[in-house]
Amino acid sequence: MRKAKRQLVAVLLVLLMSALALPVNAQDGEPVIQPQPCEEPGQLTMWVWDEAWAEIIGASIDQWAAEYCPGAEVDLQVQPWGQYWDLLQTNAAGGDLPDVFNMSQPFFYFYASNDVLLDLQPYWDQYGVDTTVWGSGMVDPYRWGEAGDLYAAPVNWDTIAIFYNKDMFDAAGLEYPSAGWTWDDFAAAAEALTNADEDIYGAEVYLEFQAGYPNWIAATGTTPVVEAGRARCTLADEGSIEALTFLQNLYQQGYMPSVSIVGSTSPDDAFNLFASGRIAMVAGGSWKLPVAFEEVPFNWDVVQLPAHPETGLSRSILHAVGYVASSRTENPDLAANLILFLASDEGQRYFAEAGGVAPANPSPALQQLWIDSFGDSDVNIQAFVDATVDSQGVTAFDEIWDAINSEIVVQIFDLDVPVEEAVASTCEFIETQLPEQQQ
Amino acid sequence: MASSRLNFLGPTPLSRRRALWGMALIAPNTLGLLFFFGIPVLIAFWTSFQQWNALKPPVYIGLENFERLVDDQMFHTALTNTLKLLGLTVPLEIVLAMGVAVLLNQPLAGRSLLRTAYFLPVVTSTVAASIVWTGAFQQRYGILSSLLEPVGLGDYKWLVDPGLVLIPIAAVTVWQRLGFDMVIFLAGLQSIPGVLYEAATIDGANRWQRFRHVTLPMLSPTTFLVMVLAVINSFQIFDQVYVMTLRTVPGGVGGSATTLAYYLYRRAFTDSEFGYASAIALVLFVIILSVTVVQLAGQRMWVYYEAEKG
Repeated sequence: MRKAKRQLVAVLLVLLMSALALPVNAQDGEPVIQPQPCEEPGQLTMWVWDEAWAEIIGASIDQWAAEYCPGAEVDLQVQPWGQYWDLLQTNAAGGDLPDVFNMSQPFFYFYASNDVLLDLQPYWDQYGVDTTVWGSGMVDPYRWGEAGDLYAAPVNWDTIAIFYNKDMFDAAGLEYPSAGWTWDDFAAAAEALTNADEDIYGAEVYLEFQAGYPNWIAATGTTPVVEAGRARCTLADEGSIEALTFLQNLYQQGYMPSVSIVGSTSPDDAFNLFASGRIAMVAGGSWKLPVAFEEVPFNWDVVQLPAHPETGLSRSILHAVGYVASSRTENPDLAANLILFLASDEGQRYFAEAGGVAPANPSPALQQLWIDSFGDSDVNIQAFVDATVDSQGVTAFDEIWDAINSEIVVQIFDLDVPVEEAVASTCEFIETQLPEQQQ
Repeated sequence: MASSRLNFLGPTPLSRRRALWGMALIAPNTLGLLFFFGIPVLIAFWTSFQQWNALKPPVYIGLENFERLVDDQMFHTALTNTLKLLGLTVPLEIVLAMGVAVLLNQPLAGRSLLRTAYFLPVVTSTVAASIVWTGAFQQRYGILSSLLEPVGLGDYKWLVDPGLVLIPIAAVTVWQRLGFDMVIFLAGLQSIPGVLYEAATIDGANRWQRFRHVTLPMLSPTTFLVMVLAVINSFQIFDQVYVMTLRTVPGGVGGSATTLAYYLYRRAFTDSEFGYASAIALVLFVIILSVTVVQLAGQRMWVYYEAEKG
């Protein structure tokens, strides 16, 4: 009896000490998301598609199992991207899904609408997590049902900004762009930096969904491609047409290369042309930072996307990978507890420290840790972080992906199809793919 | 007593044992074929009458998938493209392969080397070859575009222009099939008895006449075989489309590069409509089967078999 009491006192002391120690660790105040101990340890399986992520997440899981859920075991498996979705689908069909797995925004709809995913909202409520702490683009695409329940915890974020060649700006006698620059400033710079005789283009910003034209549509205040709730195609809306026309003009003036010149609809190829000095300004994701630091041989910097002159908006398309749980898991409480930890400041620290992948947790300390992981540099990495706040998630999904990711791009920026005509045919196709009855 | 049950294998114990041996030897292959080909084909047949997205249990919907095919614009486009590719590849492939085989049947210096060179594309992976060709066909910077520039053909958008995209796909297909056809033709050419050419020469036939009246008829069974294989192959064109349009617009702008095989792949693995995709596969199977049957029936009109006359 006495022994038990002494043990209890010891435990309380340890708890008290660790509570006192916490503020010292989290220097920038309270953690944004606080992990909780699990109620009952058990076994979970988890799938991720990336080896490097598996290492980071594995370290994070070890901490969870050691400090918050002693006795829990997680079988973490890597299913490479090339087969990830096929395997997930066949396993879902066989009723044999992993308990916890990574999800991508364009795929979420398919799994959510087939009732495969666990609703995490009750757990967010139980744990007292305010789901609006995450930037809108990170979580909105993972909401489902009438009440907008959040089914996923975002792992990371990717945003878009403009990489520009400082040497080319110097040579043209232009000032470097700064946050708050507008479409007009951008167009003027693209014109001034273009040198047709030497095959040098001022810019390349329209390619593909995430890095491309949807950012410009979002800046007009229009939701790109399809409305939230997937009820309607928005490409024929005024804002979409304005953005696409603006971009098509720049292309037709010769300030931006065609898809055929770039060789593909992939912004990676546009980035390669930027790195080889053939394009002065390129829209690129935060995931390009490691490549840029390593391979770009000239002086460069990053600036946020130019703002629409009237709305004043600069909205980046953001994609966040999510952690989701299977609706058929035998351990929903445990799965949710693990996800909570992985999304917490403590769990996300591993991503911030590893560099490369930006942690979704908005804690300023974590974001700074991520920026610092690139070492000392003058590059304005903060531009990517700033873009997360009022960001636009991925609205496109499987069936319409190619139509809006590449087909409309080639029509407008290679085959010179008039914008009105291209959006009409694309919308016509999209409408056939939208679900008839809404969630 | 056990042996009486095995009587169907042969009249004597020895013949029965031999038959068993034979069956044992072909068993691994047959079982493999059955499990990895026969059974899936039967399942696909059944799936074509279902609606199935691989997540929810399949629902039997009768002939609905096939009715949908009738009105599916993209299916019609894919069928047209497949037939266009057949027209673009098969005649060219046969003529070129026969020409190359006849040339390489002559006593040329470096003949073996040339034969190997022509055969190399056959053993090259289609995917790798298609990637290289995609680069070659790129507007302005592609090697082909550079080569064609002096004749004013340098600035074509081969891989995105809906009116042109089938040409690079046909080109890769012909380039890759040529060596295989050539080898079959070479074998056919070498089985033509030299005495026929001697007789023709004595009768005063010139080079063209010998080709027209000896080589062509004697080679017709080979030509027939090559043609049947080439037609079937052209119905199955997939990799080239997949790889050569992947980086721009998968399947081509407006489906301009979409073939039947590619379309069914997209339906199954992008849109998760396995029932519908199986229906397309079944239709494709019926088309190939009927075209082949027509070809077999038509061979009497132009294929010359020595044995018939002999």
